[in-house]
Amino acid sequence: MQSATDQIKQWILDRHAEVSDIEPDFDLLESRLIDSLAFVEFMVLVSRLSGEDIDMESIDIDDFRTLRRIEARYFGAGVR
Amino acid sequence: MLSTTTPRPEREQRFVEILQRLVDKSVDEYYNPYREFDWPETLPSEMMWMSDDLTSTYGTEIVNELTEAQRQQLSRWESINFYSLNVEGIRELLVEVVRRIHTRGFEIPSDFFHHFVGEENEHMWFFAEFCLRYGGKIYSGPKLNSIAHEDPRVENLLVFCRVLLFEEIVDHYNMRMAGDTSLHETIRQVNRVHHEDESRHIAFGRELVSLLHADLVGDLTPGQREEIEQYLKRYIAFSLRAFYNPQIYRDAGIPDPLGFRERLLAEPSRRDAERRAVRKPLAFMCKTGIFADDVLPGI
Repeated sequence: MQSATDQIKQWILDRHAEVSDIEPDFDLLESRLIDSLAFVEFMVLVSRLSGEDIDMESIDIDDFRTLRRIEARYFGAGVR
Repeated sequence: MLSTTTPRPEREQRFVEILQRLVDKSVDEYYNPYREFDWPETLPSEMMWMSDDLTSTYGTEIVNELTEAQRQQLSRWESINFYSLNVEGIRELLVEVVRRIHTRGFEIPSDFFHHFVGEENEHMWFFAEFCLRYGGKIYSGPKLNSIAHEDPRVENLLVFCRVLLFEEIVDHYNMRMAGDTSLHETIRQVNRVHHEDESRHIAFGRELVSLLHADLVGDLTPGQREEIEQYLKRYIAFSLRAFYNPQIYRDAGIPDPLGFRERLLAEPSRRDAERRAVRKPLAFMCKTGIFADDVLPGI
């Protein structure tokens, strides 16, 4: 079974045929792999996988900036 | 409607004439929104606050899992979400229009922009008033700034397409609720008043978008044209998804709100309702040639 981070990575890759892999520290927001139109669905995905009830109105957007930060904030571990 | 083959002076002349008619109508139909509404202290909780066929559970089997009281409760939060989307959307369009009023390239529509900004400010006020009076809050989502396109002409087209698509989708809801006699009069009135003003804004938006597109289309590569189409189609899908705000299911007391939302989105019958909401703007985008077809990305 895929880890949560792998599922998150796959979700992004499924939407970007031009990208083959994403490094743990690659900036997902600056690169627009996750843009303003995709962000809400991305946040819902992280919420579902982590089981954490994410408050959409008070999140820190930087927690979603890289796979490593998402892992650290929502899955309590480092990215392999 | 303007065609991309119509000479520019003719297109401009038509635009000027239409704008003058719209400005005249704005002046003639001006009202004081702060006196227009009779806001009751409360709205009855034992009734639907949104037309049944506009709710996010409509047409699904999932709706049968809810009691009537739960459906009414959910319709209340769906309604607050709808007016909150208006507040959020108007904030964005006001920023974009104010950024362009009386700047180069917008000499012709600037007079109309004054009416547009004034009316949108008033709409934002009465939508916010509804949310705060009857919901105690305005729903808000995370703010991830969209990055402007490097070509200002493309950016102008994208901005005014987004404004138009937003207004057209909202108008689908407004028209239905304004005419729905099962709803409370205050709800019908908010939707009716908004629809009356928006019909002018939509007429304006269609003309401006046609003009911006006609000026630009000859200079676009097929790749750029495709990029614009895909982005705007994603914007439509994004706008439709906003009606499935996870917070409304949570506030309605539905267990596992994210799972509930996921199941609704997976229901094929929801595609019919979504297509109804975007039928008019999709037809317009195809007719102008901004879209090659009306196929939307997965939602």
